[in-house]
Amino acid sequence: MTNTKQDIDYKTALIGWSLPSIEAMDQLQRPFVIVGPPHFQEYADKYDLPFIAWDFDHYKENYSMEDVCDQCEGLYQILKEENVGLAIPLFEDTVEWAAGINAKLQDDPKIFRHSLLFRHKGKMKRRALMGGLKVGVFEEAENKENVRQFFRRVNDAMLREGEEELEPIHFKAFDKAGDAGHRVIRSEMDINQLEDNAFPGLLESHLDGVEVSCEVFIHNGKIQFLNITEYIVFGYSMMAPPSPEIEKQRKKIRGAVQRLINAFDIQYGLIHPEFFIDEEGKISFIEVAARIPGGNIFDLIKKTYQFNPFQAHILCSDPNTTEEELKDFFPKEKKARGHAGSLMVYPRVENIEKLNIPQELEEHPGFERHTMFTPVQRKVPETEGFGNPHGVVFFHHDHHDHVKQPLRDYADYDFYM
Amino acid sequence: MNTGGEDATLQEAFETLNQAAPYAKDMYQNHFFQVAKKLAESREGIQKLYDYAPQFHEAGVFEGGPWEDPSKLQPALVNGSLRVDGLESIVALLSELRMIALAKEKHTHPEVSARDAKKYLNEVMANNLDFIFPEESGEEAEQQQQGKETERAQRLFSLMVDELSLQSISSTLIDEIKRLMVQRPIMTERIRLMIRKAEQLLHEDVEEKDRQEIERFHQAISTVTARSKEHDHVSGYRKQLQDLDKNERSEEAAAFGESMRETGLVSPYHVALVRFLNRNGEIKTLQKALGLSNKGYSNLEEHFETVQELIKVAIHLPTRQSLYGLARMLERGVLSQPPVLPGLRRLIELDIKQDVRKTLMEATSSEQEGLTANDVLTAGVISVLGQPLGIGQGLNPTCQSARALSLWAIHDPGYLLELIPRAARDGDIDMTFEGAPIHSENLPGGLAPELHKELDPVSLVLVPHLDRIYADMVRRVQFRGDDPHKWVNPAFYGDWIAKGFSKVFQHNTQNVVDYRGFVRLFYATHHREYNEGHELIYPNPVGICVTTVYGNFLGFHAITIQRIAYDPDDTYRVYFYNPNNDSSQNWGQGIEPSVRGHGEKEGESSLPFHEFVSRLYAFHYNPYEQGDAFAVEDEKVEEIERLARESWGQKFQWV
Repeated sequence: MTNTKQDIDYKTALIGWSLPSIEAMDQLQRPFVIVGPPHFQEYADKYDLPFIAWDFDHYKENYSMEDVCDQCEGLYQILKEENVGLAIPLFEDTVEWAAGINAKLQDDPKIFRHSLLFRHKGKMKRRALMGGLKVGVFEEAENKENVRQFFRRVNDAMLREGEEELEPIHFKAFDKAGDAGHRVIRSEMDINQLEDNAFPGLLESHLDGVEVSCEVFIHNGKIQFLNITEYIVFGYSMMAPPSPEIEKQRKKIRGAVQRLINAFDIQYGLIHPEFFIDEEGKISFIEVAARIPGGNIFDLIKKTYQFNPFQAHILCSDPNTTEEELKDFFPKEKKARGHAGSLMVYPRVENIEKLNIPQELEEHPGFERHTMFTPVQRKVPETEGFGNPHGVVFFHHDHHDHVKQPLRDYADYDFYM
Repeated sequence: MNTGGEDATLQEAFETLNQAAPYAKDMYQNHFFQVAKKLAESREGIQKLYDYAPQFHEAGVFEGGPWEDPSKLQPALVNGSLRVDGLESIVALLSELRMIALAKEKHTHPEVSARDAKKYLNEVMANNLDFIFPEESGEEAEQQQQGKETERAQRLFSLMVDELSLQSISSTLIDEIKRLMVQRPIMTERIRLMIRKAEQLLHEDVEEKDRQEIERFHQAISTVTARSKEHDHVSGYRKQLQDLDKNERSEEAAAFGESMRETGLVSPYHVALVRFLNRNGEIKTLQKALGLSNKGYSNLEEHFETVQELIKVAIHLPTRQSLYGLARMLERGVLSQPPVLPGLRRLIELDIKQDVRKTLMEATSSEQEGLTANDVLTAGVISVLGQPLGIGQGLNPTCQSARALSLWAIHDPGYLLELIPRAARDGDIDMTFEGAPIHSENLPGGLAPELHKELDPVSLVLVPHLDRIYADMVRRVQFRGDDPHKWVNPAFYGDWIAKGFSKVFQHNTQNVVDYRGFVRLFYATHHREYNEGHELIYPNPVGICVTTVYGNFLGFHAITIQRIAYDPDDTYRVYFYNPNNDSSQNWGQGIEPSVRGHGEKEGESSLPFHEFVSRLYAFHYNPYEQGDAFAVEDEKVEEIERLARESWGQKFQWV
């Protein structure tokens, strides 16, 4: 393992609480401090973890994202006192906080504004389009009338007017992670159902194809490692590395990623873009985040490529990491150990009576493990979007079919009854 | 991909957890528990887990959870934890494996010696005989639902028995039976179940002394005499009774009477005998069958007509335990109190509400036995009047109501006999609180909206009403500046409760204030040497802090001081009634309430005065019977304060 303790004389601040990242930091033996929500204070104290409590929720409720640049002054002062030289965001809504701190540390206000490109889907799309990536037609909407107009124009262009099945469009919140705030609009009726407080938001034409995400570790503007994750059933299951058909297009995907890096002028860290690849191999950009991906993708990478992506995230975020360190760290992208998949389980009942793990699943050649126990809290909380999964089933096999097939088959299985 | 089999999977899951930093254990525990769950599906799998048990603690299997510190674990909670469908039962299983490793000295812990662990496990085994000796059959639906957890627990106990051997629990089991028996609870189901389980030990290699004890218990609930042994069914014995001569019947009566007196348990054959003697008016033989003293006999003689009526109505096979209650009632001379006879007679023909009727029949398994709800209720009242300290709260959080029933059964049976028909016939009882009438029928909830039905008939009828009224009284005064019990207790229990009230906790803050003053006041009002010789006349409902065997705070509990007196060895003791019917728990620091051997009457437990005070947190007192608080020696007060501070006191702020 890299041993850089001696030559690093500043601390890295992890913005957000995540045990795998804390563990990675600890294993890298880099000096660090955690900036997390106050309710983790007790845990941090118990284990003597360097911790600064920061009430992110308070700022989220009272200030806009753009205000974070000014609001992080207090935190910056504390971190400066702590001898922090770098801030790394771990979650979607700590991206601007880390950027605000880094902007002050490096006395470069642009760093903060740059981070907002990842946090505002309108800005993001514009920048991608200007950088030459293929994106859908998009507009920003202030109200339902804007949505209606966009929906009509898209259908007008597709000559679908008056037809039974209209061309769908997508409505997305500017600044939410994953699928929260995402609505598919297939009729005018769907528009009426949008809630007023959902605005403003982004409107976008529908794109077709296989959806993949990339986990790109970048250092000094260069791709150090590119993982491609195939979404098997959107929102439920994913596999990495992807099926051979997609793997064949790695070069092309790499090209799209590099264009994205150039377009966004990204130098260091981790990005998590999503693309559609259609039947002809055309790649369209969906969106990009500058944080650790959800859906246990890092676990899949760890399983198949045998390196710790949480460590990789930290190493790539730090400009002072050397070329040699990185060269030793990452394996060859072609040398994956089989395929790994994860299936997220969401209860479809209001009250959980029992857990139902089918024997065929546990005996499936691709089955690796699952994380489910009958919960103490039997009532399932209501959430927007998919919410947090109640469990994950992991698969692993040399042959992608033994992973892909159960990921598809069990997506609509009721594990909780 | 499942490669390498379960050994490799276990090792990998364990090593990953083992190597994680303490703060990171949380991320790897789930997977280890999953692997453990899978392995626990077989006896061999549990054995494999046990091989790792000495390292569980080090590896962080319990890190951050309630099982982390083995010295804080409660044998009484194991059964419940093992039955949970979910993570808890797996962690509980691993925790027991660690405890076995501690007992076998394969693992050490600074606070739990091998002896401690053995003691803990013996108690666990004695509490979980169902798992050690699985019932052959059971409710099918229940089995299906609980199947996996129950079977897993049975496999765990199979390992435990193999490691620790059954003999080690035979004496524990016998002690446990005796300990419960000597408290003479009205509800004897648990004791009977344990005896039936102990009978299975007769096939094992147990000591002769234990074998004899088990046989004695077995006989007490079945065939006490040689003649009864000849019959598989009570009806055969009943027929034979006619053919016996007076002397032979007298021998039978003496044997059954003695067994009942010794054990507090009633055999079904005993019922046949007593009903026979009753029919024939053989009063002298009946005295023997009831094991009555001369005092009891004179009561029997005086009220023979009523007693004959009561036996006819109330003493049947399902209600046979009331025979012991009847004997005790005669010894107590309760029938001589004017309201009692008419009160009992009223019950026989009482028009009982349909829902109450249903509850009584179902809860006592009296359906299809040719009994009426009136029979069951009358039998229940006989038990309560005969064994006021045998009333238990069952599995309900209703110690307040149980205390009330017990107090009235002793000091005001007439009042109790008024309340019962009100509840059973009218579905309502009423009390007055600070001038305002409170009717139970108008009240919601209470502490126990869903009453667990394993209760005596009187509790079944009255507790739902009493509980609601008590809760309502508390509600009415909850925002006053002091503890609600100060006003509620005298109003609820009756004017026997003294109006003075003292508590160690500051109301609202729960801080301990002026502890020494509290201790001195208790001495000055309750200890004969400091309170100018006043005797405790009526029971005093007090609050105690129950502590674990390690002295840790477990919770608040309501008990009643029955009397305070010197025991045969000249130790000044507090004798109290604990409505949980399991009074001899170990409270740590060497404080173990005893239930026999120190002058206790049936159903009482006792502690030396100062030990009792160290667990006390609230009591009532009569301000007009207060002696010199300053006379209490400083050393005594300091010693009690030390005991309190080092046990339950650790949980609270002392100011």
